[in-house]
Amino acid sequence: MKLQFKLTVYNTVTKLAIILCTAVVILFSLEKISYHHISLRLEDKKNEFLRHLSSTTVKDLLQQQDTFIDYNILKDDYIILKEVKYEPINTVIDTFSTAQRTIDRTTETYRILSCKFNYNKKTYFLEVGNTIDAVEQVKETIKSYTLFILIAALTLTLFIDLIFTKYLLNPLYKIIDTKLIRVNDPLNYDYQKISTSTQDFNLLDDSINTLMRKISQMFLLEKQFIANVSHELLTPISIITSRLENILAYETLSEDAENKIFGSLKTLNRLKSIINSLLLISQVENNQFNKADQVNLSEVLHEIQEELEDRIEDKGIKLNQKLKHHITITANRALIHTMLYNVINNAIKYNRLNGHIDITDSLDGSDYVLEITDTGVGMANEQIQRAFERFEKLDTDERESFGLGLAIVKSIAAFHNIAIGITSIKDAGTTISLKFNQLSTSHNLHK
Amino acid sequence: MATFEGVTDFMNVLIVEDEKSLALEIDEYLSREGFTVEHARTCKTAEEKMFVNNYDFILLDLGLPDGDGFDLLKTLKKMSNREDAVIVLTARGEVDDRVRGLEEGADDYLPKPFSLNELLARMHAITRRKHKLESNEVNLKGFKINIQNRTVCHGEERINLTKKEFEIFNYLVLNKNRVISRTNLTEHVWGDVLEINSDSNFVDVHVKNLRKKLSQYAPIDWFETVRSIGYRINI
Repeated sequence: MKLQFKLTVYNTVTKLAIILCTAVVILFSLEKISYHHISLRLEDKKNEFLRHLSSTTVKDLLQQQDTFIDYNILKDDYIILKEVKYEPINTVIDTFSTAQRTIDRTTETYRILSCKFNYNKKTYFLEVGNTIDAVEQVKETIKSYTLFILIAALTLTLFIDLIFTKYLLNPLYKIIDTKLIRVNDPLNYDYQKISTSTQDFNLLDDSINTLMRKISQMFLLEKQFIANVSHELLTPISIITSRLENILAYETLSEDAENKIFGSLKTLNRLKSIINSLLLISQVENNQFNKADQVNLSEVLHEIQEELEDRIEDKGIKLNQKLKHHITITANRALIHTMLYNVINNAIKYNRLNGHIDITDSLDGSDYVLEITDTGVGMANEQIQRAFERFEKLDTDERESFGLGLAIVKSIAAFHNIAIGITSIKDAGTTISLKFNQLSTSHNLHK
Repeated sequence: MATFEGVTDFMNVLIVEDEKSLALEIDEYLSREGFTVEHARTCKTAEEKMFVNNYDFILLDLGLPDGDGFDLLKTLKKMSNREDAVIVLTARGEVDDRVRGLEEGADDYLPKPFSLNELLARMHAITRRKHKLESNEVNLKGFKINIQNRTVCHGEERINLTKKEFEIFNYLVLNKNRVISRTNLTEHVWGDVLEINSDSNFVDVHVKNLRKKLSQYAPIDWFETVRSIGYRINI
C-alpha cells in the first residue's frame, strides 16, 4: 500500500476512535448527571412532603382510599402514599430505581424514589417519581448528532487527508520516480533538486544526488580508463607487429624462429581483438554512437548469413531464417550488425556438427521479438546468469574465444533499449530472444 | 625488389608518425618493396615536406604532438594540383574517425595495429584506382591475373573463381615470396571482424578449392602450404 494511503487510513481510524470515545463518554456522563439531578430533586420533594406531614394531612389524604396519588397535569412527576402493614423503622431508607409507571392510563419511564416511614405508629409507603423521557430524548438527539458529525467529519478529513498527504508526499514520489526508478544510466542522471520544504526529503534528495555523483564518477573513470588503456596499448602492439613482420623477411631466419614469430603475431592479433572488443563496449556505453539509421533487420540478417557462410558450411549447420515480418528500426546499423553477428556466431560456435539454427520472429503487443535458437551445448542456469559478463566463456574447444561476444551484445542491446532474454537447456540448445521496444525504436511494419 | 611489374618502383612515401620505432618499421618494409620513404614526426615538418615535394602516398597518423592529422589533411586538400594519396593510420579508435577521414578526402583508413602486408595491399589498390593502369595484368607462371576485372586466365581460358578465391589468390600474389598466415589472410578477406576464429579451417577450404581449380591448368608447385602457419607463393 502506498505511504499516502497508509497515512490517510491511519488518520481516519484515529479520528474515528477519538470521536467514538468522546460520544460514549458524553452519553454516559449525561445519563449519570441527569439521574443525579433528578434524584436530588426527588429527595427534596420527599423531605418537603415529610416536613409538612401531620396526622390531619395523612388522614385527609387517605380519607377516601387507602392509597393517595397525586400528579401534575403533564404527568411529569407524581406522588403515591399508602398505608402498609406496621413494621418498626428506625431510619428511613431511600431506594432509587428506574421503572415504568402507568398513571391515568399513560405509561412513562420514571426515576423513582421509594421509602417507608412510621408516623403515629403506622407505617406508610411513599413513592415520588419524575419522568426521564426528557433525558432519553436528549440522549437520542445527541446520539444522532454524534453520528452525523462522525460521518461528516470522517468524510471531510478523509478528503483533506488525501489531498494533504498527496501534497506532502509529492516530493518523495517525485524523488522515487525520477531519481530511482527511471535511472538506468548514471551518466544521464538528472541532478535537478526536487523542490520541497520537508527537510527529510531534502536530505534524501541530496543523499541520492551525492551517491549518483559518486557512481557516475566511478563509471566515467572506468570507461575513460578502458578507452585510454586501449589506445595506449594499440600503438605498442602496432610497433611489435610491424617489427615481427620485418623480421620475417630476414633470409637467415631459421624455420623454428619463423614459427615462433608467426605464433607471436597470432597472440598479438588476439590481444588486438580483446582490446578492440573492450573499446567497442566502452564506446557503446559512452553513447559515442548515433542511432539514427533506418535498419532493415532481415537485410542485416542476410548479410550476416553470407559473412558466416563458411563457418556454417564448415560445421554442416542448417540455418533456417523464417521471418514473418519485415521490420525497419531506427538504430545504429553497424552496431545492430555486430550484435546479431555475435549472437549468430555464438549459435554456430556452440552448435554441434550438423545441427541447425532457427531464426524466427513474432509480435508481442507493440514489441517485435526476434528469436535465434540453436541446437548446441546449451547452458545450465548458473551459466546463463554469468553469460553476459565480460570474459565469461563456456567450456569450449574453441581456443580463440575471449568471452566478450555476449558482453558486446549486452551493451549494444542496452544502448538500443532492446531486452535480451535467454533460455537454455543443457545439451539441447539455447534460445536468445531480442525484444525491440517500440518506444525506443519506432518500427515500421509492412507485411 | 619490385612488385607488380615495377609499378611501385620510385614511388615516394611520406610517413607522418610520432612513434619513431613504428615509422622505422614501416620505412624498412616499404623500402624493401621499392618505395622511397621519408619521415615527419610533427605537423610542422610534415607541412614543410608537403610544400616542397609531391608524394605518391602520405601515411598519416592522427594524434600528433603538435596538432591533429586532420588539419594536415585539410591543408593538403587546399593545395592545387596534388595527387597525393592519403591513408589515415590511427590508434585513436574514435567512432567517427573513419567516416571523417574519408569525408575529408583520405583514400583509405587503417586502424592500428595493422599488418604491413595489409598496408601494402591497400596501397596497391589505391595505385590501381588512381592511375587506372593500362597494364593491369600480372603474369604468374602462365596465369594472367586481371586486377581490374578480377579475373584469372590461363592462356585464353578463363578460370572460374569465386570472389573469395580471387581475393585470396590476389593477396598471396601481391605478397609473393612471403609467408602469409591464416590470421592475416582471414583478416584481409573477411575484414576485421571481432572475435573471428582464425584457427578454424574455413580459409583452408577456400584455398583448397582455389588450388584444385588452378592445378587443372598447370602444375602449381609454387603455391606452397607452410606447415601450420599459412601459405606462400614462390616465384
